[in-house]
Amino acid sequence: MNNHIEILLGNEAIGLGLVEQGCRVVTGYPGTPSSEILAGVIKHKKRLGREVYTEWSTNEKVAFEVALAASWTGLRAAVTMKQVGLNVAADPLFSAAYTGVKGGFLVIAADDPGPYSSQTEQDSRLMALNAKVPVFDPATPDEARQMVAHALSLSERYGTPVILRPTTRLCHALQSLPLPPANGNGHHPDPPRIRFRKDPPRWAATPKFRNLLHKELNQKLRDIEAEFAASPLNFVQYPEADSRIGVIASGVAYHTTLQALEQLGAQLPVLKIGTPYPLPRALVSEFASRFDTVVVIEEPDACIELQVPSGVTLRGRGDGTVPGAGELAPEAVYRALAQVLHPHGPTPPPPRDAQLSELIQSLPLPARPPRLCPGCGHRSAFFAMKRSFGPRAIYPGDIGCYTLGTNLRAVDTFVDMGASITMAHGFYQANRLVGDSRPIVAAIGDSTFLHSGVSALINAVHTGARFVLVILDNHTTAMTGFQPTAASDLLADGEHAPRKVSLEKLVRACGVEFVEVTDPYQQETFVQVLKAAHQFTRSPDGGVAVIIANRPCVLYDPTPVREHPIPVVITEECDGCRYCLEAFECPALVLAPDSSRVDVNYEICIECGQCIDACYKGFILAAT
Amino acid sequence: MAPNSRKIIICGLGGQGVIFLTRLLARAAVDSGHPVMVSETHGMSQRGGSVISHLKIGGNQAPLIQPGTADALLSLDPDEAVRNLHYLSPGAAAFVNAHSEPPPDIRPHLERLDIRLHCLPANRIALELGNVAVANVVLAGFASRHPALGLSSDDLRRALHTNAKRNLELNLKALERGVGGSRE
Repeated sequence: MNNHIEILLGNEAIGLGLVEQGCRVVTGYPGTPSSEILAGVIKHKKRLGREVYTEWSTNEKVAFEVALAASWTGLRAAVTMKQVGLNVAADPLFSAAYTGVKGGFLVIAADDPGPYSSQTEQDSRLMALNAKVPVFDPATPDEARQMVAHALSLSERYGTPVILRPTTRLCHALQSLPLPPANGNGHHPDPPRIRFRKDPPRWAATPKFRNLLHKELNQKLRDIEAEFAASPLNFVQYPEADSRIGVIASGVAYHTTLQALEQLGAQLPVLKIGTPYPLPRALVSEFASRFDTVVVIEEPDACIELQVPSGVTLRGRGDGTVPGAGELAPEAVYRALAQVLHPHGPTPPPPRDAQLSELIQSLPLPARPPRLCPGCGHRSAFFAMKRSFGPRAIYPGDIGCYTLGTNLRAVDTFVDMGASITMAHGFYQANRLVGDSRPIVAAIGDSTFLHSGVSALINAVHTGARFVLVILDNHTTAMTGFQPTAASDLLADGEHAPRKVSLEKLVRACGVEFVEVTDPYQQETFVQVLKAAHQFTRSPDGGVAVIIANRPCVLYDPTPVREHPIPVVITEECDGCRYCLEAFECPALVLAPDSSRVDVNYEICIECGQCIDACYKGFILAAT
Repeated sequence: MAPNSRKIIICGLGGQGVIFLTRLLARAAVDSGHPVMVSETHGMSQRGGSVISHLKIGGNQAPLIQPGTADALLSLDPDEAVRNLHYLSPGAAAFVNAHSEPPPDIRPHLERLDIRLHCLPANRIALELGNVAVANVVLAGFASRHPALGLSSDDLRRALHTNAKRNLELNLKALERGVGGSRE
């Protein structure tokens, strides 16, 4: 038994690496699968007694720039986000590639092949290529932690931002790792004499200087490519294997490749690439020259494959050997490699039993899509919206737990962070042109509103749009694990926030003249407020009407429900009409096995009493 | 394959404690001197949906288990067990929190593949102990009686001392009840 072996989540291993390597400012915006990185920084800065400034910023662009400024003073800094967050931060990313950095600056963008919790399967390594920023692609939590050190050192030596690109399966992997003791030293010290030093041709470069910086950047990338060719992060596994086929693999897919080769009983040389951009092309050419065919296994898209020098017979995403969408699960990699190993067929079947798999597919197992939790205030708000405006109204939605409002048919669209408001605005303007007068009722969460809703709301107000906006204020960023927002009492590390932003005052300051704060648990009142809001949008001087639905997340703060429990019973008269199941959609309401009635699953019911309104026949009652 | 290497699927529904159970088994394996690699389900699917963890003991660093190659499956929900049976290799064992037997169509396939299904009403036992939340530990104890898990009840007991400090006594009781099992 070894006390120093800890089992770390991939994200925590990255956070530990950032603290060990002397990062002094770490910022981020939460997003699956990246959210636990900052929590890892906070845990290990406390454990190791290091002073690190951490914050959950209002969005990824804000987070990026706060950390960038720290780097420009000379401190080491990092910013964390999910892949679509890098779209939000793309503006400073592209600019900072030109200006460069001073202290090591690491951008951590976590990709989500699948996707499991994202709107796209985009590849942040291609964003790196586009922005001309070097990128590291770790395969395990252990390697990710080590790559933090390599990446910060590279960033500092070349004065360039560097991206670390983990994927969902690494972020949410647990691996046993040796942990340094809390009293150990040897962490990376600050460089001497840290001060922001003015340098206008760099830090305030005009287009003329940007041209020079671009040339400088191109030279940096050539030098880095040469350095990567000799990096221990790029190596060949099974170099002696005698084969006419070689494999290039990166990230988590590298180990999936080794597993598939073992299953296939094949030993092929595998070039493991830890630095996909700039790809060390000389190294790749030298490796490829030994084979008739080279297979590239990488995800979620082709980054290495695009950069492989011409003249190599490539199998991968380009020719369809590797599927163009979806995660590279073990069986996908197995099938791709089996195809290449057995070009004239038949390809060996994967190890799972085909008959059993088919039978399982054919069984009527319950579909289990994610659902809003029992007692969730969003459900009450959505239910009231549907009661007030019916199925014909247009319901633009947004990104968060409340995306699950689709289950109640109270979310018709979602695009990206903040798009509920912009889409509502666009629908209003388009509908006006074609004479479509359906009500437009948008819903956005508190964190998402602060992330990108404010500028959208200002735009809608100023241009005279008319719609109802419900801000679902559950007091936290719930979907990603309860990170604080700018409207919270707390900061990222649990300290008390010096000031908190009032959503109500903010909305009024945006120019909105109808603003009501209402608890969606008060269903009748909430419906009245929705109707008044709708009337305001139709009145001569009307505009956007905003309702702040104020009800804390029941997982984050269960106290209000616990203090006022309303246990319910379903009467004998229940006829199993299923209205409550479909319109209210609470997991604690279940159809009896014989479909004759609805029962309460008391194991998960939290006694919020909200479903009493969900039976218009009056068969759900408060228990006495 | 090394004699100490194991691939284990742990599944159930969001909120049943799949992650706690996974981390308990991982801790027990590490304390017995084996490296582990685990893949967990986070994010949206945790909201009451199907949850699955892949646990690899003994050095394989790919996060996911290839279907048809797992040594054992622990499921906190009978339907989720059936959904994931294709992960098991011939000769493997499944431990399921269930009152009743699996759908009859499945049985001939399991017999053909020599996959043994062991059911225990862990929820009922956990409720008898006063908290349905420890059904996961009951199931772990139940599985530890079988060599497929590769972890003994002593390994699990030690891991509980690390991973369940807040409610240790109840968890230890749950483990013992699981080890005691029923109808075998």
